[in-house]
Amino acid sequence: MTSPVTTSTDAAAPQARLTLVSALPALAAAALIAYALISSGYLVTVVGFAMIYAVFCLGLNFFMGYTGQASFGQNAFACLGGYGSAILTSDYGWEPLAALLATMTFSGVVAAIIGYPTLRLRGHTLAMATFALGLITYELSIELNGLTQGYMGFSGIPPLGLGKLKLATEKQQLVALVGIVLLGVWISSRLRHSRFGRALSAIAGSEKAAAALGIDVARYKLAAFVVASLYASAAGSLFAHFVGFISPEVFGAAMVVLPFTMLYLGGIGTTWGPVVGAIIVSLLPEVLRGLGLKEMQDIVYSVLLIAMLIYAPRGLAVLPALLQRARATPAKTV
Amino acid sequence: MPSFENRRAIATTGPRVARPAGLVAGLAMLCAASVPGMAQEPIKIGSSVGLTGYAAVTDRAWRDGLLLAAEGLNAKGGALGRKFEIVVEDNKSEPQEAVVVYKKMIASDKVGSFNSGCVSAGTFAAAASVIAAELPMVLCSILPRKPEEQKWAYSFLPPPKFEIETRYQYLKEKTDIRKVGILHDPTPYGLLMTDIAAKAAAAFGLEVVGNESYKQDDADMSVQVGRMNGAGAGAIIKIGIGGSTVTVAKNIKQLGLDKMLLLGSTDDAAIFKPAAESIGERFMFVAPGVQMPDEISDAAAKAKTTEFLTAWSAKYPGRDGTVAARAWDSLYMMADAMKASNAAGGAALRDAFEKLPPTQGAGAAYAFTPDQHVGIVVNPFRMGAVKGDKIVAVK
Repeated sequence: MTSPVTTSTDAAAPQARLTLVSALPALAAAALIAYALISSGYLVTVVGFAMIYAVFCLGLNFFMGYTGQASFGQNAFACLGGYGSAILTSDYGWEPLAALLATMTFSGVVAAIIGYPTLRLRGHTLAMATFALGLITYELSIELNGLTQGYMGFSGIPPLGLGKLKLATEKQQLVALVGIVLLGVWISSRLRHSRFGRALSAIAGSEKAAAALGIDVARYKLAAFVVASLYASAAGSLFAHFVGFISPEVFGAAMVVLPFTMLYLGGIGTTWGPVVGAIIVSLLPEVLRGLGLKEMQDIVYSVLLIAMLIYAPRGLAVLPALLQRARATPAKTV
Repeated sequence: MPSFENRRAIATTGPRVARPAGLVAGLAMLCAASVPGMAQEPIKIGSSVGLTGYAAVTDRAWRDGLLLAAEGLNAKGGALGRKFEIVVEDNKSEPQEAVVVYKKMIASDKVGSFNSGCVSAGTFAAAASVIAAELPMVLCSILPRKPEEQKWAYSFLPPPKFEIETRYQYLKEKTDIRKVGILHDPTPYGLLMTDIAAKAAAAFGLEVVGNESYKQDDADMSVQVGRMNGAGAGAIIKIGIGGSTVTVAKNIKQLGLDKMLLLGSTDDAAIFKPAAESIGERFMFVAPGVQMPDEISDAAAKAKTTEFLTAWSAKYPGRDGTVAARAWDSLYMMADAMKASNAAGGAALRDAFEKLPPTQGAGAAYAFTPDQHVGIVVNPFRMGAVKGDKIVAVK
């Protein structure tokens, strides 16, 4: 599904100056993470989940934001990552990091195999095909009882670590998750401003025009899909190690809907948008809980999403830049 | 001001009133200042329940039974000179949300123990955090899977074998049906029960000729029913709760299987009537005494059940109290354990639970020991059927 409006052009300017205003989303995120690290375990958990979803959304942003395609099936690769890490670490005694990398590789290969025929589809048919992918993986995670333990779920998954270094506490894990998110953002930013990223941007604008420019559209779409699957797989693995338990519900419909909300709220097609969106959507239920309005959560999500799509379709991440631009342009008086 | 489900629920002895929060808080502070006994902090018990999602029916009943018991206990002075405060959080029947709400209740609400609903996956996901905080957890769900986690958990769920044995016993003694089909949902409890059903059949002279699964939102199960009928099953052992039972009953009727019996799981009474409307007396189910109070012969059990049903019916007229009765029992037993240990949480409370004497409750009889953390050790079920508007025991 091509969507020329999903890739913002504000940050495309490589010479964009780093001012306090433009760095606001990142600064706010950093402040929140710092606050979580000095506060109670509860906020650490919530921000930890936000970081995991941020990794997932960074990948989805490649496919949906930079390339302008629609995928409802990235939860399939999170599922592969989650169960892969769980099985390799719990049943075969692998190191969590090695398991994470191995399952990422496996997910990438699966994405390439599946994506090769699937990505010939376009628009709604591609969206439906990816949706089916998520459903198939969800069913497999239930039916392959001997491997996944079905609905009983997989427990006893060790926390992240490397060798003798075990991240035993949640705060240690949160530090690692933040590091992984920053790495993910850095890779995303580098790729976005590379030849590869510009090709994706061209495809997002118009597949036909991109092809006319000599871009191998199918190959680049496949590459974006594989990159997205790598991020999703990593998110699934991180979830497994962070919680220590996974079950099919973890990779169900919520993992399709929530990242969409995060992406559009934060700013689809922007570098920091997925992180901002993931943090806001993860914190929102807790804010509503504090206000005694938790039951209104779904309504608030929906209203927020609609409002964002109407009034700020590029998401919150680009608001500082828009403000900056508005300041730079003198107001016209009538 | 509306009372939202997931707001902190402070069980009070009076009727629910609107909350002018500032006024109530001010009055409470004044009272606390003037009456020394009331200055005590309440005993906070966290409850992670699936108020939304697939477990909503059972977990809402669990929560309501818990709050009702807290009201009753608080009316009698609470325990250790302190009132009970039940902190209720909706886990949406999802493991990830369960982790968040458990941690919230540990870190922010500072609960001393848990009394949670029937979402087994949520229990599994959060167990490690609860155990790390050294808090006992009383559950409607099955126990967590690791032995070190089970040490801190107490289940008020009837062991799956009782539901199975009751139905098999009926088939063996009252019918000439010797071939059965199992139709189950894919929940952890459903899978456990299915495994037991497959293994136990031979001991009752029964043969399992079909083992089919369904998903809770399936709108039609005629394929599974047809396959079991084709394999020669004379009865379907339905494992799983909710509207799916009604769907199976309708499918049996639609397929014209006028000899096929449907033997359902224990469930909310609201499910039984529409199922019975489809296939009449061929629909039977396992039911505890609280659903058939007239059939209880044991005096102690009858007294406990009557006490619960009187309070329950007054607050929730016409509503089934099967699950709520066990929640009620669980909180009363927690209060007993607190009194015995003089502790409102931690290892002392956990150990006291194991030393409680066998207790007759409203929903079942319970006996916990260091090796027995599933409290229901005597089968609380009989075969029930719908007769008019009532549930009666199958004679």
